[in-house]
Amino acid sequence: MNGKQHPELRAEGLRLRYGKNEVLHGIDLTLRPGCIYGLVGRNGAGKTTLLSCLTGQLAVSEGAVTCGGQPVWENPAALANLCFSREIGTTLGGGPNNMKVRDYLEAAALFLPHWDKEYAARLVARFGLDERKKICKLSKGMLSMVTIVIALASRAPITILDEPVAGLDVVAREDFYKLLLEDYAETGRTFVISTHIIEEAASVFEEVILLDEGRILEMGETDELVGQFAAVTGAEEAVDAVCAGHRVLTCERLGRQKQCVVRLPGGPGALRAGGEVDVEPLTLQKVFVTLCGHEEKGGGAA
Amino acid sequence: MLQPFNDQSALYLQVARMLEDGILRGIYPAEEQVPSTNELARVYKINPATAAKGINLLVDEGILYKRRGIGMFVAPGAAQAIAARRKAAFYNDYVIALAKEAASLGIDAEELAQMVRRAAAEKEEQG
Repeated sequence: MNGKQHPELRAEGLRLRYGKNEVLHGIDLTLRPGCIYGLVGRNGAGKTTLLSCLTGQLAVSEGAVTCGGQPVWENPAALANLCFSREIGTTLGGGPNNMKVRDYLEAAALFLPHWDKEYAARLVARFGLDERKKICKLSKGMLSMVTIVIALASRAPITILDEPVAGLDVVAREDFYKLLLEDYAETGRTFVISTHIIEEAASVFEEVILLDEGRILEMGETDELVGQFAAVTGAEEAVDAVCAGHRVLTCERLGRQKQCVVRLPGGPGALRAGGEVDVEPLTLQKVFVTLCGHEEKGGGAA
Repeated sequence: MLQPFNDQSALYLQVARMLEDGILRGIYPAEEQVPSTNELARVYKINPATAAKGINLLVDEGILYKRRGIGMFVAPGAAQAIAARRKAAFYNDYVIALAKEAASLGIDAEELAQMVRRAAAEKEEQG
């Protein structure tokens, strides 16, 4: 893998406001070359907004976004390294998007200097996409396939996919991860993938970025992050004894049984687990729910 | 052998464990090449860095060794080393869990011992 020639993408103190409403509250982020990042967060966390800022499609209100040290905003030299393949709308300028798939791909290629036409054709064939079909006539799954074709065939050193698997069935999703890893093995380029289907994507991400309400809550190696959490289950007193002195994040009771999720920066080895409790690791999805599943706000409707 | 990863321990540990299983069962004898990081990544749909972490763990333990420019190979005596290490961990990993489950079911030590002997005898008959 030759990550050397690939640039680094960096955001410093990034804030974004729509009018008075601040959506991103000071994001500091460095995406190193040759790494697959997963971006996860709840609806409205600011994922698409962040990705738009990182790729120069939205002007930041404060702070800076640079690629290989160059600002990305209105800078063709920096933008040449980036591809942001987002969900395609079936409408265009108020009417249905009547562009054919073939024309849509050709239009995308105009903005992507590393475009690999032959690779795009292979992917279209693999997905069984009909290039003569109009965008507005495509199913949700086929729209996702078009965004994946654009992202992979862009051959951009930093390729960003926003919800690439949202419309895909499980067979096509597996196929996507396989294609992604094949391309990654070959090129070693940087990928950022946002997704709500966390569990099956977790093993593909080397690092995960957890965005919550416009802030980065966690960022780091997926294994390392997940390894800091454990679920302790057993009789209430036994669980309390084992968890004492540790950071308990959530607790649930079922009769006299209790389950607590604890965070242990040194890993679960730090627990003095006796025989009476079960200590189990969490999945990335459970970690995400634990960290972001705060109580619903604005309790007016009681 | 290609079970999907479904146990909950860290993925790189599962990669290491899976390769160890292959070595123990003689799928990868001594001096045989094991699958590369990219092959493991593609087949199991995991990040190559995770696969590499699992392989490196086995390199650190002397189970695998690297031949520059070719790949990773099984070290001589690797199967014996894995068996010895797992045997040492057997009491903690299996026997204690077995005794715990037996106690919660009211199976006493003598009954448990009988069951273990029966299972071992059946396994021996099957060869």
